[in-house]
Amino acid sequence: MAAPAIPTIAEAAKRIAAKQLSPVELTRACLDRVRALDDRLHAFVHLTEERALAEAREAERAIMAGGPKGPLHGIPIGLKDIVDTKGIPTTCGSKILQDNIPDTDAACAESLAEAGTVLIGKTTTHEFADGGPSFDLPKPPARNPWNTDHFTAGSSSGTGAAVAAGLILGGIGTDTGGSIRGPAALCGIAGIKPTYGLVSRAGVAPAAFSLDHIGPMAWTSEDCALMLQALAGYDARDPASADRPVPNYTAALGSGIKGLKVGVIHHFHEVDYKVSPGTQRGIDGTISALRELGAEIREVQLSPLQDWQACGSLISITERASAYDEWARTRLGDFSERVQRRLMLGALVSGVDYVQAVRRRRELRAELKAAMAGLDIVLTAAAPGEAPKIDNVPIWDVFDRPSFTIPFNVAGYPAMSICAGYGEGGLPVAVQLVGKPFDEATLFRVADAFEKATPHRNARPALA
Amino acid sequence: MPADISDQTLDFLLARAGLDLTPAQKAELKSVYPGIAAMAERVRKPRGIMAEPAHAYGFNPADLGEDL
Repeated sequence: MAAPAIPTIAEAAKRIAAKQLSPVELTRACLDRVRALDDRLHAFVHLTEERALAEAREAERAIMAGGPKGPLHGIPIGLKDIVDTKGIPTTCGSKILQDNIPDTDAACAESLAEAGTVLIGKTTTHEFADGGPSFDLPKPPARNPWNTDHFTAGSSSGTGAAVAAGLILGGIGTDTGGSIRGPAALCGIAGIKPTYGLVSRAGVAPAAFSLDHIGPMAWTSEDCALMLQALAGYDARDPASADRPVPNYTAALGSGIKGLKVGVIHHFHEVDYKVSPGTQRGIDGTISALRELGAEIREVQLSPLQDWQACGSLISITERASAYDEWARTRLGDFSERVQRRLMLGALVSGVDYVQAVRRRRELRAELKAAMAGLDIVLTAAAPGEAPKIDNVPIWDVFDRPSFTIPFNVAGYPAMSICAGYGEGGLPVAVQLVGKPFDEATLFRVADAFEKATPHRNARPALA
Repeated sequence: MPADISDQTLDFLLARAGLDLTPAQKAELKSVYPGIAAMAERVRKPRGIMAEPAHAYGFNPADLGEDL
């Protein structure tokens, strides 16, 4: 049972169920790729090789005895290093937690383990999911597998790089202002920030409590759907957890998108902040492809991107400063320079500023809700352009340019980045699809139709 | 909100936050203050006293202990 070069989760699951692919061989293939490539990618901060092989052997035994318990059984994955893992170091990429070994698993780690996944290791993160790339942390920042001189974006940088290079088939990211969708965009993979409250945050280090989301990253949107199926659901340990039924996220895949109504927020990426020519081509190509698949395209107008950015940033800065207040007061110098800068900003935002931002948040959410009435999804950029050089990432990016992703953290709506082609230097470009609350199924339906109608999923980074 | 900040005010805010910064960090923070001021101005809209924040509270069964 030879492992294929780099299967998707869906492909591997089918072959595992048919007993044509061994979870042990698949895991060994991933570990071999880690050994061959991670010196250049720095996608992992901690490998769990022995545990992975033991889990793979157990998965294989169970599957041979009674078949897989689901599509994730025997699938190698990675967890961002801000996700608590029982008995495994969880450093949050920080000097401050270098010796931290949690005694419980985070809810998302628990869910994926119950689904039968095989943990390859903990993936690189910006320190406490903030700032980055930082070169003054215990471990170096992850590098983009499409060109290792370039940035992955963050903060789920290791998961993005590892998935793109085939070191894992899927992984966990977290997203406070775009930390799943940014790395997904720049690494040319799929990543979804689900609706706020759909996936439990319990056991995951906070960045900004009311903006934090946990979600899957994988090569395809179908793989993200398979992972989200295992991750979604009520958890009383998370005070924001939504108590509602979880639908079947793959049921509508392949049913086409004829008649679906897609709104395009042109002014976000053409007026408020102009994206790169390559990204604009990717967005235009996506719109054409969706139209050819039968979707109806409409124009959507929202408040300027800068309004969403101001609202989200003020909330993020303040909630982060609150979460890390004690360490900022007593151990500021132990944070990376970039995170020190972020924490310093908290001193400049008043209580009134924060509450005004939270009042603005209610208005902006109402605006998005009204704009999406009669639409199934909306579409805009996921990132301003191709990955920049890793040594050319602005320190104060929060002021330099608005984020295309933060509006949907502000709103709490589900949003996904998918690969829309390749731009300058052969680097990936992406598009962002946004759904209505708890309607991730429609996002997957559209993204899957697009991916299967276009050739963008056929090419992996050359080094993989 | 003024678009710049005096050294004295910055020192007061940092002391209140309990942050001990180097002179270089203070200078850098002062240089980005206009960005924060601009963001604060963007979220300050004429909305009247009745406009609620996004996280106004709603009791659910767990908050009421009905799940115990």
